Amino acid sequence: MSQRYYEFFCPVKVIAGKAALEHIPYELSGLGVGRPLLITDKGVRAAGLLEPVLEACEEGGQEIVTIYDDVPPDSSTHVVKDIAGIYRSEQCDSIIAVGGGSAIDTAKAVNILVSEGGDDLSAYAGAGVLTSPLKPFFVVPTTAGTGSEVTSVAVIADTEKSVKLPFTSSFLLPDAAIIDPRMTLTLPPHITAATGMDALTHATEAFTCMAKNPLSDAYATAAVKKISTHLLKVMDNPKNTDSRLELAEASTMAGIAFSNSMVGLVHALGHATGAICHLPHGLCMSLYLPYVLEYNLETIREPLGELLLYMAGPDVYATTPANRRAEECISAIRKLRDALYQHCKLPRTLQETGKVEQDQLERIARLALDDGSIMFNPREVTLDDAMAVLKRAWG
Amino acid sequence: MLAKPLRPMALQARRLYVELMFQVMGRALQGISEVDQAARDEARELPEGFLFEMMVRPNGPSLVVEHLGGGRFHYHGDNPPRPVDLSIQFKHIAHAFLVVSFQEKTSEAFAHDRMLVDGDISYALRMTRILNRLEVFILPKLVASRAVKEYPANLKLPQKVLSAARIYLKVATQFFDTARAS
Ligand SMILES: [Fe+2]
Repeated sequence: MSQRYYEFFCPVKVIAGKAALEHIPYELSGLGVGRPLLITDKGVRAAGLLEPVLEACEEGGQEIVTIYDDVPPDSSTHVVKDIAGIYRSEQCDSIIAVGGGSAIDTAKAVNILVSEGGDDLSAYAGAGVLTSPLKPFFVVPTTAGTGSEVTSVAVIADTEKSVKLPFTSSFLLPDAAIIDPRMTLTLPPHITAATGMDALTHATEAFTCMAKNPLSDAYATAAVKKISTHLLKVMDNPKNTDSRLELAEASTMAGIAFSNSMVGLVHALGHATGAICHLPHGLCMSLYLPYVLEYNLETIREPLGELLLYMAGPDVYATTPANRRAEECISAIRKLRDALYQHCKLPRTLQETGKVEQDQLERIARLALDDGSIMFNPREVTLDDAMAVLKRAWG
Repeated sequence: MLAKPLRPMALQARRLYVELMFQVMGRALQGISEVDQAARDEARELPEGFLFEMMVRPNGPSLVVEHLGGGRFHYHGDNPPRPVDLSIQFKHIAHAFLVVSFQEKTSEAFAHDRMLVDGDISYALRMTRILNRLEVFILPKLVASRAVKEYPANLKLPQKVLSAARIYLKVATQFFDTARAS
């Protein structure tokens, strides 16, 4: 009997494309709410990304009760508590997050407090603690990478105890993700490149790791195709609205894929590197992706070979012998990284980052072994294995 | 219409098997922590007095071990002396059966959403690696290579046979002691 078994869940309504922001008022009224709190960060405001959101709401007769625009890059329980206080004093009834991973995670955590009550976020940490739906919640992503708009997790730092609190519940998922090309149009080249590589890693790991399943596979392959087709077009012409939208969609699709089939060693190493060397997450993904695929190669030869079709297109796929497709897929990813290096100096090796010391590698490897993502990596990773990958990624 | 009870004997046998395997694994965890350096190195990082539980929801069989420090475990049967620090829970007895009858790897069971972790995920990873190590030791190679992602390459046969025998011996004698005492 086949041991195949999987679960797939994504209840997030996706509202995507031209004039998507203008659907926010209708969506709010559809859930019977009208006093949203908008959560964002200074960067989003400075980039002028709040205006189209506010205009769309105002023009649609929708008041935004309050704006909290001070979410830091590494959000904390303290920030969450403050925002929950504002929500309560302003008698809000819903939340709109506008931003990247940090603003979205913060908004998810705020939603826990304002829905469940109290000020102690740590009481809700862990998996399966929440048992009922939270307040209406909408997400407008401003990067095309994290996929946080369709994931059921949030990580918030508890600054007093200096630990990171993980929250996992399908109730953290927003009611809708609003994907409007205007929101990513001004993303600077190196962030476009790094977040694009994050999305590519989500899709690739979802497609090659242990919890892959037919539904997440469909999202993953479609995401890879969009990224391989459009990432360099956007790098060439940042104002290409159509390609920007394709990347934003790819990011959401890759998010749906990996939130159902999880990620692997690239993320384990990336999380560890981010924590120790403070490198951006997307960059870490780009650094490790080909080396981890090489390490996993013999276990993932079949799916990785299949991925070549989406990574390099039907011609390359058809002219590559079946037993060389997996290697060819890795080299297509390397070519993409080389092109991104030409465009915006996105580092390809740890050495090229200039921010990692060789004597930090062992700490990174040890920390990676403690990262939850490693559970779903198709190969059992030992300390020696992790060190070997890091040394190859050193350059 | 009331549903007929389903094969009560077979279901009871499955439950008994899981209970028995949990006992074997509990004792073997204590045993392996006494004889195997690699398992001890892995366990050493756990806090002293750390209580680990593996159980079947909602109130099925369970096994509880305590980290005494220095990588050594003590098996507490199914009775935690205080609230546990980490609990790995099977959603159903059928899922536990798949794992303890070595038809599904522990990591697969996680990937298949058959288990939940209540507690620190990094400790759960550590315990999973120790459980894998244990399976490699106590099972014949053919069965063990099905139960773990990768059969360790550095496990020479004499060491395996030796250590496995020692662990089996410990398990057997402890069972024997329990049987005599009851
Ligand atoms: Fe990621």
